[in-house]
Amino acid sequence: MNAELNKPKTQVGVIDLNSGNLLSMQTAITAAGCELHTLQQPRASLLKQLDVLVMPGQGRFAYVMNQIDRHGWRDFLLEWVRNGKRLVGVCVGMQVLFEGSDEDPEAVGLGLFQGRCQRLSHPKTPMVGWAQLDSYKLTLKDQFAYFVNSFAIKACPFATAKVTYGDAFCASVQRGNLYGFQFHPEKSGFFGRGLMQHVCQ
Amino acid sequence: MYVNDDSSNSDLTARVIPCLDVAHGRVVKGTNFKQLLDMGDPVELAQLYEQQGADELIFLDIKASVDGQQSALDMVYQVSTHLSIPFAVGGGIKNLDDVHRFFHAGADKVTLNTMAVEQPELINQIATQYGSQSIVVAVDVNHEADGSLAIYTHGGSRRVAVNYHDWIQQVVDRGCGEILLTAMHKDGTGSGFDTDLLAQFGADFPVQVIASGGAKGPQDFLNAIHAGADAVLAAGLFHRGEYTVGEIKEFLINNNIKIRKT
Repeated sequence: MNAELNKPKTQVGVIDLNSGNLLSMQTAITAAGCELHTLQQPRASLLKQLDVLVMPGQGRFAYVMNQIDRHGWRDFLLEWVRNGKRLVGVCVGMQVLFEGSDEDPEAVGLGLFQGRCQRLSHPKTPMVGWAQLDSYKLTLKDQFAYFVNSFAIKACPFATAKVTYGDAFCASVQRGNLYGFQFHPEKSGFFGRGLMQHVCQ
Repeated sequence: MYVNDDSSNSDLTARVIPCLDVAHGRVVKGTNFKQLLDMGDPVELAQLYEQQGADELIFLDIKASVDGQQSALDMVYQVSTHLSIPFAVGGGIKNLDDVHRFFHAGADKVTLNTMAVEQPELINQIATQYGSQSIVVAVDVNHEADGSLAIYTHGGSRRVAVNYHDWIQQVVDRGCGEILLTAMHKDGTGSGFDTDLLAQFGADFPVQVIASGGAKGPQDFLNAIHAGADAVLAAGLFHRGEYTVGEIKEFLINNNIKIRKT
C-alpha cells in the first residue's frame, strides 16, 4: 500500500466573516486536497479538530475587525496562535493580524504582528492587478500574484515578499506558523493554487 | 506606468482581459452592439483563456434582464469553481441584493452600466459594503456626429443626458474602483482602441481604466497601454481564434511592457 493514500486529509477551517466572495477560497482549499470546514463561530473543540485556519477578509478594516469581535473570534485566534497552530490571513485578513490601520484608526487589530497599515502612496487606488513578488523564498520568488488593496503594511521584520506600488509594501509575512498574504492566493492562478496547497500541508 | 523601467514606482503589470458576452448560457459576439453570433460554452472558454494566460475575465450577461437571473447565477457559480483567476460579471443587476447574489455565487467584481445611471447611489452602497475594488462601472461612450461625447445605456441602445466628463467624475466620487471604458464608435470595427480618449482619461481621473472597443491586433493593445490604459479588453479577436491571449502578451513583453508571465 502507498502510505500517501492512507494519509488523513489536512483539516482546514475557513472563517466566514461575511465579507465578499468566499467561494474562491473554499474551492482553492478543496482543490489542495484538504477537508474544508466553513466556520461562522469558534468553539473549543476546533483546537483539536482542525490543523489550519484560513481567514480571508475583504472590505474595510473596521468591518472585518467588527465581525471578528462580534462572533467571538478574537480570543479564540489568540489562543490558537499561542498553541502554535497554523493561521493564514489573506488580504484584510492579513492586515488584522497587525495592531491597526489608518483606514479605521479606532479599530483594534489582533496585534499578532507589530505595526499599522497605511494608505498606498500611489495616485491610483485601489491597486488592482498582478505584480511580481520580490522574495527570498523559493515558493514566492518572482511569482506573479493578484492584488486588490488600498492599504498595506509598509515594513515588517517578518516580511517574506515585497512589492512596490507608490512605496514598497509587504506582500506576505510569516513568523512560524503564522502566515499573512496581502495578495489573493485563491485568485493568483496556478501559482496561488500551489501556494494554498503548500500552506495547507 | 507599464513600461519596464528601473526607476518605476510600480510593480503592477498591464492586464489582458478577454470579455465574454453571454446570452442564454452561451458566449455571443455582436457587432456595434447589434447582431449576435454564437461563440461557445462560457466555462470552456473561460478555462481556455486562463490556460492562455488571461489576467482576468469579464462576463457581460447582456440578456440577463430578458431571460431572468438564475441562469446567470448558475453560470457564475460554474465559472468560479473552475477558475483560479479573478472575474467580473455584469448585466441585470438591479439592487444590492442582486450584487450580493453574484458575490455569493463566486464573482469577484460586478459591472454596472444602466443601473449606474438610473440609480447611482447603488455605486456608493456597493463600495461601502464590499469595497471600491469590487465595483467596475461600464461607461459606453459614443463619438457623436457633432463631435461631442455621449453616454449610452441599455447595451448601447439609449442615449442619456449626462455629460461624459461629469459622469465619470461622479462615478469615481461615489467609490467606483475601475472604469470599463467602451468606445462604441470603435466597438467591433477592428480599427483600434480610442487612444485619445484613453490619454485624456489618465490625465483626469485617479482610477484604473480598462480600454474596450476596437481591437484588431497586438499593436492596438500596445498603443492603448502607451496611451494610459491599465488593462485592455477584447472579445471577438480571441473568440474567433485570430490571436491567443499568449500571443498578445508575448508581443507586449517584447515591446518592454510589464506583463504577467505564466
